[in-house]
Amino acid sequence: MYRKTLDKLQVLTIAFEKLLNKVFSQQYNPFYYHGAVPNLFMWTLFVTGLLLFAYYQPTLDSAYISVNYISTKIPFGGVVRGMHRYAADAMMITVVLHALRVYFTDRYRKYRWIAWYSGVALFLCMFVIGITGYILVWDERSYMITLMMTDALKAIPLVGTSLAGLFINGEVITHYTMAMSFFLHVGISFFLLYLLWLHYLRISRPATDVPLGLGLLLMATIIIPAGLIPVVSGKPAVLTETPKEFPVDWFYLWIFPLFSNIPAMVVWTIVFIAVAILLLVPFLIVDEQKSPATVSLDNCVGCTLCAKDCPYEAIYMVPRTDHPKYKQLAIVIDARCAECGLCVGACAFKAIDLPQKHSKEIIAKIGDVLKEPITV
Amino acid sequence: MTQQNKKKKKVLGIVCERSVDLKKHIKNNKLKDKDNVAIVEMVCSGMIQPIMIEEGFKQGADGVFVMGCQIGDCHFREGNKWCQDRLLGLRPPNIKKAVDKNKVRGYWLAKCDYKKFMEKVSKFEEDLNNLPAPEAAKAAVT
Repeated sequence: MYRKTLDKLQVLTIAFEKLLNKVFSQQYNPFYYHGAVPNLFMWTLFVTGLLLFAYYQPTLDSAYISVNYISTKIPFGGVVRGMHRYAADAMMITVVLHALRVYFTDRYRKYRWIAWYSGVALFLCMFVIGITGYILVWDERSYMITLMMTDALKAIPLVGTSLAGLFINGEVITHYTMAMSFFLHVGISFFLLYLLWLHYLRISRPATDVPLGLGLLLMATIIIPAGLIPVVSGKPAVLTETPKEFPVDWFYLWIFPLFSNIPAMVVWTIVFIAVAILLLVPFLIVDEQKSPATVSLDNCVGCTLCAKDCPYEAIYMVPRTDHPKYKQLAIVIDARCAECGLCVGACAFKAIDLPQKHSKEIIAKIGDVLKEPITV
Repeated sequence: MTQQNKKKKKVLGIVCERSVDLKKHIKNNKLKDKDNVAIVEMVCSGMIQPIMIEEGFKQGADGVFVMGCQIGDCHFREGNKWCQDRLLGLRPPNIKKAVDKNKVRGYWLAKCDYKKFMEKVSKFEEDLNNLPAPEAAKAAVT
């Protein structure tokens, strides 16, 4: 049942992408770069963040003023700030689409589990970066979400108080709170790079760049709104007044409406269960065990073609001394092998094969199939 | 034109099991709608060795087509790209020069493209019938 639904979703996804092919052409279809698109936005965030970093002051007194200074006084400061915000939103949308696409087309499990797990970690990190980013502005909303987050963290048994203390960097909100938010915002952004390395691990030639045309189009979708609808701060935060309402960013701050309506512990439990489900998803479907590709010692000539073609970095070459002529031998890392047979296609010497679908069998089958007479 | 051959051409299709969904349309390894088209399914079009295409001709096929998913959308990331490059002679191992490239086709279609697939196969048959007597010509891979 679960499987059938997924199969249907896969056909739907592919049909949808075919539609997009008509608009964008196959070469520029954003869905064929579903991983590279969030990556583009992430680098936009890094670059615009770096520019904002030059003028931003992480203290209670000057955070709000410096952000406004960037927006109003610095040439194109408002555009850069807008790009930073809209790129973050765009990144969240495209990351979710990326995850759904990968899920619907069955590309998240087995040998891909590392990518899925690091993806979940990246996703969670994005929320921390997003929430702390909203604190840095230090308007009423920032103050409000700081208070709410502190209360929510305190509700966690055992570690809650210390977590809350860590979050605001002390017992109460001080200048150090801003320093901590700033640190989390920037520090975890750089931690993303480590997670991305894990995300790309086991993938040969990961598609991390979109074609120039598509890239320009996507940049336009954030630069134009950034120019037309500038991002502005709310009223400055005043520590003696607790604001009642604030505009919610549904991409990053959706958890706060939950906090105000449901007990914090329940929200945390929901989040915990959701993450647990995400981590279990790759193991919900179990396929029959197949066998990874095997190399025939006698046939391998060490031409490296299979190692070059392997899309999962599962084949590497080792020097060999047992053969008078051939200097290298291909070795398959079983845990990485996707049993896709690309190495078989690359081999002209019948040296590497999938035991369950041997190239000899296929060639024999081609003969059999063609021998059967045609009924006219 | 006297090339209205009544005799059906023998066509071999080596196809990726993840591209056009042929499971319902195959009987005894042949297409139900066209029983002169034999189908061999592969894990991925990237697994297709040039030897397999050559073997098809050796065993009496008049034409061989290869089918994979849409370029850009390989389940195993790069299989159809490699396969396309091999057909075009851009990636080793190459297909032997002796093989008439007019009799080889590559189709890159998605799971739900059965209709398009049948059109392409019919076109291929027509092309095979219209081929001049054995003479080498330039590669034509769609």
